[in-house]
Amino acid sequence: MDSAREPRRVVVTGLGVVTSIGTGVGEFLTGLRSGRSGVKPITSFETAGYAHANGCEITDFDPARRLHEAGAEELGRAGQFSAAAARMAVADGAMPVRALREERVLVSVGTTDGESRDLDRLAILDYQDGPAHLARRSPAGRLSSAIVRELGLSDVEAVTIPTACAAGNYAIGHGMDAIRAGDVDVALCGGVDALCRKTYAGFYRLGAMAPEVCQPFDRDRKGILVGEGAGILLMESLEHALARGARIYAELLGYGLTCDALSPVAPDQDSLARCMRLAHENAGVKPTDIDFISAHGTGTKANDMTEVAAIRQAFTDAPPPTVSIKGMLGHAMGAASALGAAACALAITEGFIPPTINHRETDPECQVDCVPNQARPAEVRVVQNNALAFGGNNAVLILGRYGTAA
Amino acid sequence: MSAPTAIATGELVLSAWSAVSPFGVGREPFREGLRSGRSGIAALDAEAFPGPYTTAGLVPDFSAAKYLGRKGTRLMDRLTALAVTAVGGLVEQCRDDLSAAPERAGLVLGTGWASVQSIMDTTRDSVNGEKPYHVDPAKFPNTVMNKAAGQSAIWHTIKGPNTTISGDWLTGLLALSYATRLYRGGHCDLVLCGAVEEYSTQRAWLDWHSGEAGGDGAAALGEGGAFVLLESAESARRSGRGPLVRLAGTGFRSCQDGAGVRDTLETCVRGTLRRAGVSPEQVRLIAPADLPGPAGAAEDEALTVVFGADNASCRRIHCRAQLGDTTAAATVFQLAAALAEVERGAVHDTGEYALVTGIGRDGMVGCALLGGCGDPA
Repeated sequence: MDSAREPRRVVVTGLGVVTSIGTGVGEFLTGLRSGRSGVKPITSFETAGYAHANGCEITDFDPARRLHEAGAEELGRAGQFSAAAARMAVADGAMPVRALREERVLVSVGTTDGESRDLDRLAILDYQDGPAHLARRSPAGRLSSAIVRELGLSDVEAVTIPTACAAGNYAIGHGMDAIRAGDVDVALCGGVDALCRKTYAGFYRLGAMAPEVCQPFDRDRKGILVGEGAGILLMESLEHALARGARIYAELLGYGLTCDALSPVAPDQDSLARCMRLAHENAGVKPTDIDFISAHGTGTKANDMTEVAAIRQAFTDAPPPTVSIKGMLGHAMGAASALGAAACALAITEGFIPPTINHRETDPECQVDCVPNQARPAEVRVVQNNALAFGGNNAVLILGRYGTAA
Repeated sequence: MSAPTAIATGELVLSAWSAVSPFGVGREPFREGLRSGRSGIAALDAEAFPGPYTTAGLVPDFSAAKYLGRKGTRLMDRLTALAVTAVGGLVEQCRDDLSAAPERAGLVLGTGWASVQSIMDTTRDSVNGEKPYHVDPAKFPNTVMNKAAGQSAIWHTIKGPNTTISGDWLTGLLALSYATRLYRGGHCDLVLCGAVEEYSTQRAWLDWHSGEAGGDGAAALGEGGAFVLLESAESARRSGRGPLVRLAGTGFRSCQDGAGVRDTLETCVRGTLRRAGVSPEQVRLIAPADLPGPAGAAEDEALTVVFGADNASCRRIHCRAQLGDTTAAATVFQLAAALAEVERGAVHDTGEYALVTGIGRDGMVGCALLGGCGDPA
């Protein structure tokens, strides 16, 4: 038998969010509580030729205001979101940047498309002649090193995890493992993506794009809407957080990963149910402990049906309320589950379940209490945050209220 | 509530490796190619690969159909085909464990831009087509950056954690660090860990314009991938694979406050040695990044300060000149080159160590420290 030791406890002490329903924790929380919609006509790229082109775009992001150290022109849109969200997470956690620079830090950022906006532009330009600065800033690795640069970190491991639409949970899980094992006391983890032409064209061509709004679990749901943004969590070992008297949003209890190894695009019920069970086991919770599920809930026929069936498989009793914040935020791709985790942390702290908006009638084929249209006050102790990705990649994260888990 | 999963603290080893390189498909061509000192870089077919370079380290005569068969490979892009092939080389060495418990095996796959050819082709189709959505729906999944990892899992039935890692030239080292945490966190018992890079026209232009590529923008690019098997010492012995090296640690740092690569790498390496309780004299083999230009000179200075010059008691191996700049796969090729030397008797005793160093274009540096396993007990 291999030797083993008890994992250190991991808590979330700061949140940095850039979203289509608001930037910064205050705006994001107000948006989640009031069921704000981020939907608007897309302006990020040319949309002529599409019958419809709504998305959850961010129209009020000012990199010059948000970034202090990282040069805005040296980063693409996703890198800017990433660095800005990290800067906000550190400020929100009342962690002095000078103190952070003395720490060993893990930076782990998930993404679907990397610096996709720049790749779009480079593909369109006859870029044999440049511009070189776009090429230089285009590697996905820049999404994590942007944070290093913005915060001036030296003793740091920075990694980008491009595991598509489950990447946010993957990146947070990585940070959790690093802190649990004692490799670092502090981690900045989450996900980021920027709207891009390539991904819009692809999902539209697959018939997965909703014409107007995203309606998770609704009988008339018509697909996803693309979104963008970043969610970065300031994570610390419990001792580190307590020693500096940090406010604790939530404890990260555990997570699970599985791979379907079946289809590059279609989700698999059994593999997703297995992922949920692994997450419960890893966190040391039972299905009956879960107060609500923040679902992947993309609003496509296939996702919502498979996901609810997997939930029923993993939760032998009636499953808890199961919501999707994608009605509000659209599918922010690599940022989606990181924003889901941020929403879960706020739900725990503030005592509410975020609503599934644009909901008229629940599909009997994916019957869940999706907390339709209006946020619900609730005592929230343990939450499950689901994420699925192309490639058959599933990642499920469990968060709990600090103080109740022991 | 019950207890969360414990942290596995037992000794971790690398027990097998595979390579698909400019010397060919498999370990033997890689070993032989490195040993011979010949270059894997050759003239490029300008029609197949138009772009800024006239030479490159391509995997010779590589195609998905040739190495994986025609069935199921029609839509595979080059990156995914290289990945599935390289992972396959490792799967051959752990097939029994994999079929016994596919859910307990993880796959960690490093990449730079993924198949940036697939990605940018799709954008171009969208721009040049009659309608902006006239893109190939069957090829769209190739543009998602985790396609190579997902497809490798499908091909070889690997059902545990499946993660894609990206971090410029440090990708291979970051993948190894991630894989270690995955194991220690109890998420799997076996990790197939490596990185892959494709040669394509789009990648060539991106690396060309990135300027610092190869320190001078003109160094030849290479492609391919290498994978290592990470498991507990006990599991390696039980399976009869026999451990090659112990994973003694990884370390990373960033150049800040005007500190250059030389000082930052020195601090990184010294810290990694200290955490592992290893003295510089114990390091007998180094596989450096070997960048041309100032970054390479800085690396050389840092290593010389810590370990002394390249000499018989601490030998350096140089694979970059033979393989070309393999960007995301660079550090994992260095690791494979070190393992090939270990198989020849280098770093044998438990008190002997090997070191792999990496330098990123974004000011990040990293290293991995590997210890000898001694004679089997």
